[in-house]
Amino acid sequence: MNALDQLATVFDHRVRLAIGVLLARHGEISFARLKEQLGLTDGNLGAHLRKLEDADCVALRRDFVERKPVTWYALTKGGHRTLNLHLRALQLVIQGAE
Amino acid sequence: MVADESIRDDLNYVASTVRRQEYRSGVPAIYFLWAAIVLVGFSLPDFAPVAAGPYWFVTGIVGGLASWWLGERAGRKAGFNDKAMGRRYGWHWMIGGFGFLLAGLPVIVGQVGIVHGTSSFLLVGGVVYALAGVHLERPLLWSGLLMLAAYVVMVIFQPPYVWTITGVTIALSLAWAGWAATRGESRDPTDERA
Repeated sequence: MNALDQLATVFDHRVRLAIGVLLARHGEISFARLKEQLGLTDGNLGAHLRKLEDADCVALRRDFVERKPVTWYALTKGGHRTLNLHLRALQLVIQGAE
Repeated sequence: MVADESIRDDLNYVASTVRRQEYRSGVPAIYFLWAAIVLVGFSLPDFAPVAAGPYWFVTGIVGGLASWWLGERAGRKAGFNDKAMGRRYGWHWMIGGFGFLLAGLPVIVGQVGIVHGTSSFLLVGGVVYALAGVHLERPLLWSGLLMLAAYVVMVIFQPPYVWTITGVTIALSLAWAGWAATRGESRDPTDERA
């Protein structure tokens, strides 16, 4: 099978890929922190997170930090698996190009 | 190959995004807490040697727990709930604490006297802090190297009040690290209204 065919469509956008990598590295990250890290607007980030949620790659949890509402995002088990497969496929594509 | 170039661009974007969040300047409150603990604790062997052991036993545990609470709170406030990082910090300081206890073993079993044995605590402290600077938070490296330098001075020259002088120096370096971390703090990233 072609390596390009193994890429996961949900992570084919670089913002969603960056969200996946950040969440894999840190566990849980707040919406506000993701927005700052990625330099996106609320609407833009929300749309990408919704796509990840719809694909069951990301789960959200609402909480309060110092009496302020905070939305936390984390990769699901399926999200971890999909991201790993996607990264492996990217590696194959790059190896194939070299 | 357009697809390859696009993938490379995407990966460069991801790499720069991940690098942007390296936030290891530390938690100012923890630095200030330990600056105060060290300032008092290091002067005790010079002025009230009997109180030094109980002081470090109590402040080691209470200070460790307070640091864990402050670190967890600062992480959540910064928008990260990083359990893996928390575990890494926990293991580092727990093994360091165990090393401190083991450093007292030769004194407890009577192999060396209390005067010669206490310098081992400085050696262990220096190694634990310097390694924390390498693996966790860079400002701790300087505190660790200061402790190691003080250990050398203590063993070779045995000058008076070296514990107090070392404590003041380490407390100043920790306070400086705390001040530097305060300056590095950005706006509150948990504020979703921002």
